[in-house]
Amino acid sequence: MELRARSFRQRAAESLANPHLRKALSNLRSRMVVGRVASVGELDNFEDIREAARQVRDNALEHLDFLLEEFERNASARGARVHWAETSEDMNRIVLEIARAAGVRKAIKSKSMLGEESGLNKYLQAGGVEVRETDLGEYIIEQSGDTPSHIIAPAIHRTKDEVADLFEQRHGRARKTDISELTREAREMLRPHFLTADMGITGANFLVAETGTTMIVTNEGNGRMSTTMPRVHVAIAGIEKVLPTLEDVSFILRLLTRSATAQSISNYLSFTTGPKQAGDTDGPEEFHIVIVDSGRTRVLGSELREALRCIRCGACMNHCPVYQNVGGHPYGWVYPGPIGSVLTPAYAGVENALDLPHAATMCNQCGVVCPVKIPLPDLMRKLRERQFERDLRPWSERTGLKLWAWAATRPAVYAALTRIAARVGRAMGGRDGAIRSLPGGAGAWTAQRDMPAPAGRTFRELYAARKRG
Amino acid sequence: MNPGEPVMSARDNILARIRTALGRNEPLDAQQSADMRTKLRMHPRGPQPDMSWDLLERFRERCTILSTTVDEAVNLGEVPAAVARYLSERQLPVAGACWPEFGALPWSPAGLGIEARAVTGDDRLGITGTFCAVAETGTLMLLSGPDTHPATSLLPETHIAIVPVSRLVRSMEDGWDLLRREKERLPRQVAFVSGPSRTADIELTLVLGIHGPTRVHVVLVGD
Amino acid sequence: MRVGLFVTCLVDLMRPRIGFAALELLESAGCEVVVPASQTCCGQPGYNSGDRASAQALARKVLGEFKDCDYVVIPSGSCSGMIKAHYPELLSDVPQARADVEWLIARTWELTDFLVNVLRIEQVPGTFQGTVTYHDSCSGLREMGVKSQPRALLAKVPGLVLEEMSTPEQCCGFGGTFSVKFGDISARICDQKCDDVQSTGTDAVVLGDLGCMLNIEGRMRRRGDVRTRVLHVAEVLAGTTGEEG
Repeated sequence: MELRARSFRQRAAESLANPHLRKALSNLRSRMVVGRVASVGELDNFEDIREAARQVRDNALEHLDFLLEEFERNASARGARVHWAETSEDMNRIVLEIARAAGVRKAIKSKSMLGEESGLNKYLQAGGVEVRETDLGEYIIEQSGDTPSHIIAPAIHRTKDEVADLFEQRHGRARKTDISELTREAREMLRPHFLTADMGITGANFLVAETGTTMIVTNEGNGRMSTTMPRVHVAIAGIEKVLPTLEDVSFILRLLTRSATAQSISNYLSFTTGPKQAGDTDGPEEFHIVIVDSGRTRVLGSELREALRCIRCGACMNHCPVYQNVGGHPYGWVYPGPIGSVLTPAYAGVENALDLPHAATMCNQCGVVCPVKIPLPDLMRKLRERQFERDLRPWSERTGLKLWAWAATRPAVYAALTRIAARVGRAMGGRDGAIRSLPGGAGAWTAQRDMPAPAGRTFRELYAARKRG
Repeated sequence: MNPGEPVMSARDNILARIRTALGRNEPLDAQQSADMRTKLRMHPRGPQPDMSWDLLERFRERCTILSTTVDEAVNLGEVPAAVARYLSERQLPVAGACWPEFGALPWSPAGLGIEARAVTGDDRLGITGTFCAVAETGTLMLLSGPDTHPATSLLPETHIAIVPVSRLVRSMEDGWDLLRREKERLPRQVAFVSGPSRTADIELTLVLGIHGPTRVHVVLVGD
Repeated sequence: MRVGLFVTCLVDLMRPRIGFAALELLESAGCEVVVPASQTCCGQPGYNSGDRASAQALARKVLGEFKDCDYVVIPSGSCSGMIKAHYPELLSDVPQARADVEWLIARTWELTDFLVNVLRIEQVPGTFQGTVTYHDSCSGLREMGVKSQPRALLAKVPGLVLEEMSTPEQCCGFGGTFSVKFGDISARICDQKCDDVQSTGTDAVVLGDLGCMLNIEGRMRRRGDVRTRVLHVAEVLAGTTGEEG
């Protein structure tokens, strides 16, 4: 996907001005946030599981080379073809080569964030392979020429009326207004593609080293379709997706589905090991797995390693007060919300996503809901430090911070300056003690808020006076 | 696709970069690898939540939450009558396909046209068994195979699963243990199915029945 | 017991009465309170803006300021969280500071936490006629575990009735420099907090951090609500909400 993270500020302003988006996003807090609490409450030991999941993910990263080799060996032994791609461009090329070699004309795709990273659909289409997204949200995105704004609910920014207009226009059928009718229509439009596609493309929620298994989680059944109906199946997966055993996947799923969609379990968990076997009526004749680096080894060796624990549940964005108000598009790439504010600069370069690590209140709601305990605010702070070190922050900000520290490490100077500020502020506040307009950068505060005026004398002055009696 | 030089070197480059990133610059040694493999084969479980509930009660309760309907039959012979009851109550088509193991059940006397074969895209009813069912979540654990066609539980709008009570297990982890005990190796696909397919991709509003079945009905068969 | 009061830079400059309220609460509970005159800022603005050097300089200054105290008490979840949750990381590359950091974080308390869990006070000096709702500030809640303490104390204030808003743990949108860097987003987040507070119909929103206080009060007034009071928990407990300053 094209990187547009530099325009966060402008696109966030557009989001705030968009009443449709506001309506669409209002469901996040009422459904996802409230639902998660109940769902997590079903487990008497959620925090124990969470801590264990953190450890298992960390341990897998610590032994990543071993687990990937083990995975490759076991998957190959079952007849899967394992490919390795250093970059997302390499991945696109490999998938197209597989399609061409197998004479594939049409591919159905189950949602993959890695596919979004690399712009796989566009690439395959340019290469002569028709690709159809099958997740309802992704299908809506595809049909409207849009980009996803959430990793679990890609079309969350669209209202049902917008979807109704889109389907009427794209399907040439009578306009539906009911969400279940719209869903039914999508089923009818997509079903023929499942039955006629030559290739299914999926991501992988996890790779299982011990068994050479790839697994995906879906609710719609499109993942099961994509891995069962076409004669070729290609699974694409980042290197960080590997876990040691089926048991590891199983216990982490208790966290994943609850954190993602407030479900005790998702409808379809498909564990795939190798292609069609002797006697099987269903299943692909060829099964390819593409293991992709695309920046992940760089993150592995950096101070941001913990971000690789991510299991793509989306809880951080659901709970982020910034995301809840601006949606996913301002973040300008595949991953919005707090995890995006870490992964986008990590993959695309600190200098290419300057606003993202700052576009957070550091409330740490994301950190406390993350099922694998990624300390998201801490990682954003590290990115802020790298920006500061590399002089990537505005001059006024850097100077302001330096001046503050200079004064605050000199108590006498500080006392004198705050003494003046308290009085000037008091005067600015006038009779009702509210400053309506501040100069310079602080004007961003008073554009939409008053600044309650200081009381006029500092605590230290008053305290000293009191001590003197 | 030619797995030639560039792809091989991609593998080596990625593994080398991983090792560098992990600060050890070389693979695990023979002893460490053997230790890791031993650990993998022991299948250690993560912390388990409280599972002190009754298996059957829990399974029924979770099915209901998932919008899976549940009926009972005292034995396999009674299953067709139970299926007919379900279909007629909802005025659903009475013809479809079932897994071969159920081909000999008395479907016709119950007024049903069920054939033991793989489904086509036109079938509106699919009848399957299950390898086992997970009580914790109300989930069917289906294995692909020559006689356990995955598409039967996937393509038709209505999926009916015949679940012997004796095949209820507590958790997904118990399901894996059972699989290892009874099968030599993993089938091509293990599908854990929990209720009818669903989506909430429009305004986060839940709708049942998108690409997979719109209805899932379980007929529990007593011992 | 000798308690060092860290009033915080915002209280010092903006609302001295909150500092005096904290002083009153500690002294009325029998503490000997010292207020080191050299205190300024805990370093959080620099720390959260990536200016690690500035933050370290201020943190090292704080380390030296409370050496003769048994406890350091702060009427702010944010500044106490800065010390307890972040000084160890911030000063991790300054080995000679390690012992001092450990010493300080073991003695640092958020005010309401200290009143409840160390002093175990039974009574508070203040009274309040009216209803209030409580906003949990993010750092206090998630870094210092401050949730039940202020509520337990408010329950001891004669005349005060607490009515919870629907999402008291939701961020108010302040976020330090975020409130200026992304003023429009910050204000929009704050609107939800203001709506939540106003829907309780209470006379005041009470909270434990001056940043949230300025943000919520500023947005409320701009929205035209001049009725709902925005009060620091210390002034409610001390009974000084009617005072100037």
